[in-house]
Amino acid sequence: MTLGVRRWETLADSVQGVGKRRNQDWYACQGTGSGPDPLVLAVADGHGSAVHARSALGARFAVDRFVVLAGAFGRAAHDCHEPGRLARLMTYARDDFPRALVHEWRQEALGHWDRNRPVVEEASREPGTEEKLVLYGTTLIGAVLTPWLFVAWQIGDGDLAVVEHDGTLVRPLAPAEEDLGDETESLCGREAWRAMRMHWAPLFEEARSPRLVVLSTDGLSKSFASADGYREFVSGLAGRLAQEGGAGVREALPDWLAQASRYSGDDTTLAAAVRPAPVPAGTPAAPGGPEGPVEPGAAEARTPPGPDGGEVDTERTTET
Amino acid sequence: MSGMLDDGTRLAAENGDDVEILGFLGAGGQGEVYRVRTPDGERALKWYYPTCATADQEAIVRELVTRDFADDRFLWPEAFVPEHRGSFGYLMGLRPDRYKGLPALFRRQLRTSPRALLTACLYTVEAYQALHSRGIAYRDISWGNIFFDPDTGDVLVCDNDNAVVEGDASGISGTMEFMAPELVRADPGARPGTQSDLHSLAVLLFMLLMNHHPLKGRRELGIHCLDEAAERKLYGRSPLFVFDPADDANRPDPLEHATVLATWDAAAERLRELFRRSFTTGLRDPAARVRESEWRDALRAVLDAVVECAACGRQNMTEPGENPPPRDCWGCGARLVLPPRLTVTTPPPRTEHHIRLRRAARVQAHHLLPEPARHDCSDAALVAELVEHPRKPGRFGLANRSRETWTGTRSDGTVQKIEPGQTVPLRSGLDLDLGGGVRAVVRAR
Repeated sequence: MTLGVRRWETLADSVQGVGKRRNQDWYACQGTGSGPDPLVLAVADGHGSAVHARSALGARFAVDRFVVLAGAFGRAAHDCHEPGRLARLMTYARDDFPRALVHEWRQEALGHWDRNRPVVEEASREPGTEEKLVLYGTTLIGAVLTPWLFVAWQIGDGDLAVVEHDGTLVRPLAPAEEDLGDETESLCGREAWRAMRMHWAPLFEEARSPRLVVLSTDGLSKSFASADGYREFVSGLAGRLAQEGGAGVREALPDWLAQASRYSGDDTTLAAAVRPAPVPAGTPAAPGGPEGPVEPGAAEARTPPGPDGGEVDTERTTET
Repeated sequence: MSGMLDDGTRLAAENGDDVEILGFLGAGGQGEVYRVRTPDGERALKWYYPTCATADQEAIVRELVTRDFADDRFLWPEAFVPEHRGSFGYLMGLRPDRYKGLPALFRRQLRTSPRALLTACLYTVEAYQALHSRGIAYRDISWGNIFFDPDTGDVLVCDNDNAVVEGDASGISGTMEFMAPELVRADPGARPGTQSDLHSLAVLLFMLLMNHHPLKGRRELGIHCLDEAAERKLYGRSPLFVFDPADDANRPDPLEHATVLATWDAAAERLRELFRRSFTTGLRDPAARVRESEWRDALRAVLDAVVECAACGRQNMTEPGENPPPRDCWGCGARLVLPPRLTVTTPPPRTEHHIRLRRAARVQAHHLLPEPARHDCSDAALVAELVEHPRKPGRFGLANRSRETWTGTRSDGTVQKIEPGQTVPLRSGLDLDLGGGVRAVVRAR
């Protein structure tokens, strides 16, 4: 089977929450999306409270380990057209990858703890392993894209949004029921791999691969009054990227995230990959209007996208 | 993702049905599943990835469709849907919502119980036994194929498109985790069949009950991404059970594998013994593997010996039979207090079933048979159940839910008739003739 090599354009940024001492989010975009060089995107949100005093590092460890593991996974998938290989890759992605990731994150966090023990009285008790890990607690959303595969994983809150080839917006890792309150699942949780959700999507036709993949920490979605606002933001982003390309959006992104952060009060991070596609003649104006995506916090107050932007709103979750 | 087929696409099944795509349901290792409309109502369409749409796969699906295997425990290929844009598929029934996949169980997203899990294991064994008795090897037993109802334990085996007639040598697609070691090693002459299915079945049962893979102990922690050589060693060349009594080199790691340490402790020894055999001698000698009938008898016996902890109410497995060793609740640690036991003796060849008379304990139709062909734990097959006196809390009796009139003899020799719907007070020594040559005796221990 011959499949074209897709090239992706990426954009990413992170802003510190208002009044926060430091930004506890972390992110990465790496690779081109070719077979030997898979595109890996990841965002992580360190929990941030006093009990998670080292969560900024935990977020960084999570992203770093994910980039290495997902890159290796993407490269290993180069032969996915061999008989039986896709089933094998899916099993690995669903069962083994989360365990490997959690294991490596724990090793990194515990190694860091050993090298950076707090100054304490000699007689004080050595914390247990779980107590040490709690210091580094973080969420993670990560994705890997190759010419043949799109796989994503998530633990804890935050959002993965995908604009499909036909403009449909889906959030394939959205939980069936939103978490209540601020409690979220975490890499520091007991047997955390059990809480990791996975999205699996082999790609067989370049024309049917996603237009846009957006990963964001919950600082973004919390800045909207409703889930509709978040969806309008993403579809607006897709529209503006289609119209203007990445350069202009990349320039405006820090302002959008800063605005979101003002509403959510949280660190706000976004990493996205867009598949440049020729814009056919007669393509309607981008959803969200020429100003760009719907402003955070204002979703209810603004006129929703018109029919031209009405390709959104189809929610669907994939079996994880 | 949008998948390979758009909503509204129309296809023609080979049985003449018009098939319209209504929506995407999910993606797996071999293909995608869609909800479709057919003249007979809504069905599911499995649609292979182009790389999996091989001539061999087509031959298997066509053969399975021809077999027309009518069994409510399976979603079986019902009609072949020929090629469209480089692939093909087949129609099957839609999986009802009450059936959930094992990944949800392992992620603690389901509320279930030891009793429901044991029932699911029992039904799973019988489902595969039904296939094997028809000369069909499943070849692809794994946790992606089994769905179960977390309330009742009912099972539904899906993705039956790798089942083949025993001896058929067409390509294997089994997951290495579930493959018998001789197949992982590709031993000369080793072929997927009933014997290798027995290994896969043991792995699946272990995962259902213990929520962990039996060969993934400390050794797995050193395996890197998709390291096939290391996995072949783990599952094929030198597989080692995490609880191998003679070799602790692959013991569970207390931090990484905490669940299996807890679930193994909570399991009944009767089952642990079968798992030990499966994953020690059974790894090396296919003929020594635990047979389906052994699993079935052990699972039924342990299911009948599940009791609730008097302190916290959690269900606990205990050893079947009389005078089991004392045991503490896996949840709260309190010593379990065993309720009386009902010994049901079947007609010849006489078999004894020991049912712990916990609250709402049940005697099912399968308890009356020496060798039941199929177990049914639902109300449809209920024969008797333990009920509390409506006006005297703490007083229990056995209610006759059968169509037979029972004869009860107390230890003092008095005899009474118990008509259908009536209840006989529970007393140690009560001897019941349940009809058809079946006897049941209440014993204190």
